[in-house]
Order: sequence, then C-alpha cells, then structure tokens
Amino acid sequence: MKFVPQVEFSGGQLRPLTEDDLPSIVEIFQKSAMAGQSVEAGQEQAKRLLSLSVQMAATQRGLMWAIEVDGAMQGMLSLYDWQPTTLKTLIKLDALPALSEDNQIAAIEAAIAFLQQKYHLRNFSCQWVESDGEAVKATFEKAGFTQQAVLRDARRTGQDSYIDVTLLSRILETE
Amino acid sequence: MDWNKKTDQYFIRFAHESDITPMYELLADPEVVRYHPKNAMVVEAQAMDEARRMVMQFEAKEAAFWLIEEKVSGDVIGRIALKHFNWVQGTAELQLDIKPSARNRDNVAEILFPVLCLAFEELALHRIEWLLLKEDPVMPEMVADIGFHHDGQLPSFFEFEGQWIDYQIYSLLQNDQSWQSALLADKL
Repeated sequence: MKFVPQVEFSGGQLRPLTEDDLPSIVEIFQKSAMAGQSVEAGQEQAKRLLSLSVQMAATQRGLMWAIEVDGAMQGMLSLYDWQPTTLKTLIKLDALPALSEDNQIAAIEAAIAFLQQKYHLRNFSCQWVESDGEAVKATFEKAGFTQQAVLRDARRTGQDSYIDVTLLSRILETE
Repeated sequence: MDWNKKTDQYFIRFAHESDITPMYELLADPEVVRYHPKNAMVVEAQAMDEARRMVMQFEAKEAAFWLIEEKVSGDVIGRIALKHFNWVQGTAELQLDIKPSARNRDNVAEILFPVLCLAFEELALHRIEWLLLKEDPVMPEMVADIGFHHDGQLPSFFEFEGQWIDYQIYSLLQNDQSWQSALLADKL
C-alpha cells in the first residue's frame, strides 16, 4: 500500500523516499540539528529513516517526501507533529545545494496546496534556528510564511547550552 | 523530594479524594476558565475524571498539578500545573486556574514562586512557558510584570466554539535576570 503520495510541482515532484535516495539522505543529514544527533549520519540511519517515513505516513503522524528535480533527488520536505484535529503541521525543508530557491518555494507551495485539498490542513508552521542560515528563512517567507515568535532557548544543544527557535507560520483561510 | 509546598497564605498541595467537590466548584466557575479557554464543568463527575487524569499524568511524569488552598479559610482558590514536561529540552508549560478574587499580582507571584523554584532548582528545567489569550484583561500584563518575556504568538492553536484561538506565548528562563533576582530576594 502506498502511504506517501506523489505531488507534481512546476519544475519537479514530491515523491516517496526510495533506497536509491540513501546517499542523498546521508548527505542531507551531515549536520547536527539537535542535541544527541551525530554529524556522521550513515547508511544504517538513512535506512531507518526510510522505514520511518512509511510508518509516519501510515499512521498520519507526518510525511517525508523526496524533492526530485530533473530525475535527481535534491532535498527533502517533511511534515512533523501532524495534528488532524487542529488541522496543523510542522514543515521541515532540507535542501541540497543543487536545489534552486525557486524549486524550494514551488515544492513548499505544492505540498501546502495538496495538504489543504486532501486533508484540509490550514496551519503550517516551521522552526528556524540561526545555524539553518538566513536563506532558509527567506525561502519560507517568500512561500508566504511570517514570523510569529522567537522561542528563547527552546532547543537544547548540550548539557547547558540552548538556542532560540524562530517560529514562522502560514495560516490558510478556513474553507 | 517534597512536592507539597506552602507560602505565607497558601498550601500548594496535591489533591486528595476529598478535593473532588472543591475542585468541581473551582472549575465550574466560568470566570475561572474564561481565558484558557475551556468550558466550565457542569457535573461533579467531571472533577472526578479530571482528578484521575491529574494522577495519571503525574505518574507518567508528564505533568504535576497542585491545588491552592487558602490557609485561613481552608478554601481551594485555585489550581496550578506544570504540564507537558519535556525532560530532554528542559521545558514545561504553566497553567493557572484561579478565582478572580485572588487574581492579583501579589497572590499570583506568591503562588508561582515555590512552583518555579521546584521547576528550576529541583527538576532542573530551563524554560517555563505560559500560554495566554491577549483578550485576558489581567494575566498578560501581570506575568510580564512578574518577569516573564513575551516571545510572540502561536496562531490558530486550536478551535474553540467555532473560533480559532491564538495564544500569546510567554517564557521565563532559569538564567533570566528576573528569576535570578527573585531567587536572591526569595520572592517574585
């Protein structure tokens, strides 16, 4: 059974992760984003991510899409904390250097349109931290997201170290 | 570790079986829950159910709830909770249900201080959040005066009676100057 849908966008498509994506997934996760996450992500973790992506979608807790452009996997667009009753979810964009900003925005727009149409979601948010880089924040702002809060020290990076989390969101009109 | 606390005016303590009726009387008061927002209780069985959930959440290390008992009268005038413990991130969320007659800066600060001491000093949490409605005419200004910082808002957090609710989010950090000063002064 196919739990992760395929969604076309101008320039490419969002599609389920496959075993062929493992090298790209490893490349994407060569960064430490939270306490306890190794920067040396490997094939084994990537394989587990693959099965997790199916489980998340099957239980409607989230989704993980590969962003494919010109037949190549150039990033991931993921949904976490999907709450069907409050019609909201958290979006995470992981772009490889080859993925242009235009295609990043198109992928976000396509995902939102699909999720609104199919699941009636209306509250899309994303978390940004300084190490993500200003370009990531700018991409989301161009995709219609606005800054709502700076959650001070909301993410732990070590025993006694914390970083601020900036919350951006895009709220669609109720149907 | 003693979870029960006391202040000059109050016992801040866990609930007992005999607290079902006072808890119902507290949470059946529309003024107590108006700005949470949630519906006031309408039958006492709801308080019994709520008490059971409070115990279950504490046993699961997800939350801790205290009733606020006025020492002089023995009346339960409120309930305070630390909810959504996130032991990895070191965070929790405050919630205060309090009778309007006790909802003033001095009383709230007196009630908060031992709970925040427990959160920061005994549980080693780092960040305490408080979600409030901007329509609340009292609490946002009061918590800012007590030392909480306005981080921003959480739009369309949930739907209540046909309206999407935007929460204002306030936070206090263990290393905030306001908290460190409170520790030195032994009060907020």
